[in-house]
Amino acid sequence: MTVATKERVIEFRDALQEAMSEEMRVDKRVFLLGEEVAQYNGAYKVSKGMLDEFGPRRIIDTPISESGFSGMAIGAAMRGLRPIVEFMSWSFSLVAADPILNNAPKMLYMSGGQFGCPIVFRGNDGAGGQLASTHSWCVESLYANVPGLKMAIPYDAYDAKGLLKTAIRDDNPVFFLESERLLSTKGHVPEEEYTIEFGKALVRREGTDCTIISFGRPIHFCLEAAEELAKEGISCEIIDGRTIRPLDIETMIASVKKTNACVVVDQSWPFASVGSEIASQIHRYCFDDLDNHVHRVHSDDVPTPYAYNLEQAYLPNSHKICEAVRSATYNI
Amino acid sequence: MPIDITMPRLSDTMEMGTVLHWHVKEGDEVSSGDVLADIETDKATMELQSFDDGVVQNILIAEGEQVSVGTAIARLLEEDEDPNSAPAPEAAAPEKAEPQAAVEEAQQVAQTPPPSTGGARVSPVARRLAEDHGLDLSAIQGSGPSGRIIKRDILQVIDATQETEAAVVSAPQSSNVVANVTPVQQPLAPTSPWQQDRTEKLSNMRQIIAKRLVESKQSIPHYQVSMTFDMDPLMDMRKALNEQLSATGIKLSVNDFLVRCCALAMAEHPAFNASFGGDCILYHGPVNIGMAVALPEERGGGLVVASLRNADQKSLRTISQESSYLAKKARESGLTVEEMADATFTISNLGMFGVEHFTAIINPPNSAILAVGAAIEKPVVRDGELVVGHEMSATLSLDHRVIDGAMAAQYLKTLKEYIENPASLLV
Repeated sequence: MTVATKERVIEFRDALQEAMSEEMRVDKRVFLLGEEVAQYNGAYKVSKGMLDEFGPRRIIDTPISESGFSGMAIGAAMRGLRPIVEFMSWSFSLVAADPILNNAPKMLYMSGGQFGCPIVFRGNDGAGGQLASTHSWCVESLYANVPGLKMAIPYDAYDAKGLLKTAIRDDNPVFFLESERLLSTKGHVPEEEYTIEFGKALVRREGTDCTIISFGRPIHFCLEAAEELAKEGISCEIIDGRTIRPLDIETMIASVKKTNACVVVDQSWPFASVGSEIASQIHRYCFDDLDNHVHRVHSDDVPTPYAYNLEQAYLPNSHKICEAVRSATYNI
Repeated sequence: MPIDITMPRLSDTMEMGTVLHWHVKEGDEVSSGDVLADIETDKATMELQSFDDGVVQNILIAEGEQVSVGTAIARLLEEDEDPNSAPAPEAAAPEKAEPQAAVEEAQQVAQTPPPSTGGARVSPVARRLAEDHGLDLSAIQGSGPSGRIIKRDILQVIDATQETEAAVVSAPQSSNVVANVTPVQQPLAPTSPWQQDRTEKLSNMRQIIAKRLVESKQSIPHYQVSMTFDMDPLMDMRKALNEQLSATGIKLSVNDFLVRCCALAMAEHPAFNASFGGDCILYHGPVNIGMAVALPEERGGGLVVASLRNADQKSLRTISQESSYLAKKARESGLTVEEMADATFTISNLGMFGVEHFTAIINPPNSAILAVGAAIEKPVVRDGELVVGHEMSATLSLDHRVIDGAMAAQYLKTLKEYIENPASLLV
């Protein structure tokens, strides 16, 4: 047991690499493809050392053609392999919308169960830092709308590894949303093997006055806000949903029934978003427990600005979260 | 679904209402528009009509009982609704083993109306907490946006209730001491039966008079300014006009002239047609003169203020007809809320009782009230000669936040010009 709890701190990107490498060692059907994943060790060094270990047949550099290599990987998945497709950024997945949205999530249904599609699409999602409007996409609200896929969005190194291993083992297409801003963050990742079940939210901070629900990078803003609000005597409970599909609404409901107030923080745009979906479900299941309507914090409803100060103001930052929590708890 | 009939809000100031008389009993069929009950509000007695068709399932409060606005007072079953399927108080009773206890419990439930909101905004969790603790939401002030009652408000009431209960329990001995020094609780020993002290429960109207006039006197910085008026020209003109009008049945009173004088003077002095608004002064458009009407003893006494709307636009004849209609209706059957609303200035006239001089308390949100005495025949000086003439004294009570002394004097001067030159009232 002492071994199991030994502190081993590694970077988020290395946790991702460990997850892929471990799964590739035990399952010969698993392989990685994408732009610069092999010889360059990954545009963000996530696949460092993997070409050396697994060779060019399983770590495959592709042309700059998301639509082509995504479609090829989906074909491989239908024929029994288990591909991992790395998008340098989810912003680039938009040109592969037809294969990843129109083929992969529907294949099992359209083939009457003859063909599954066990595939992982992974890459950076959200504003990376002055990448401007077209390279700062948060795809979660856009893509989570599609039935037949799963979607995971890890916040720390531990979850990145545990959730990615589960994603690779899943028989359905999994959209795995990482953040460039989180890749170099460090966290405890045990030596021992573990996986994290999909649909199990994590209470990142316990509190009594307001439930804050979020996913991925904005969890960081939520934790900052909770520190600030604690100084004002407002106690926040932060729930990291971990996966958007499936959604652990039960854990969220239990928390809101306790706090009677709820703020949803979602880095996608506000209209028809993951945030609006969760708010709707909370209103439905917690109607008699709410002291105020569910408040939402999103990126502003504009294309992502390039200027540093505007980009910071655009994000669902801790200032906006504090305002929302104060309003939701009638502390304004 | 059964339909709850709640105590309606029949006037802006109404907080409580009394069911004077039920026109229906349990089991009666009613149609939309049928009169269910007579409701006594703070100022008037009004009919409560049904908005729905159905059968009266329960009458939840007895005649004479007073409840907050919004409280359920009866329950209707919709047509074809099975009374056994409805979650009615009686429906729960048969489960009990002991029939007697069951009946008692049913009665208790029937007498405890469900918590109501009086139409206020309530957050869902606040509503649930209030239900859990049996709190009446209509008695709770909301601190949220637009007065929404929120969780914090309910928790404060629960805390306060617990503290009060604790205080009562912990101080049983001190209550004796209090009783000994409180004269109200210790009537003087009567020497004969007719000297017995007695208490009488306040009527709705007496309660509202007590509440509003204390508020007025405590919150408005009152002061008074008086003036005496030569009434001979007005009395002469009144006599002449009434002789001409005798065939029509119209008889102009001194008060009718005063209503017109005050209204015309108000049109010239807008501050007298205004209300204090905290951080502003609200100048009203229409000039509506309130006329205090004392009610006869057999109608429970008290007084109401009838509203003569747009009095500055109306002839003496119209004012006379309206005021006598309203005074008669007030004394005989009571005024509607509409007939009492929106007065911007009030005249209280005790002249007909021979009173020479008195002061009145401002009727909020007015800024002034005129207390009028009798026009009395007395020795007066006219053009340096001592002669016999009619004089009348009137006293303004004023809200100093709106009207200063010099403004009051100016108003009385204008009033004097109208009263002493009454021909101008005819144009």
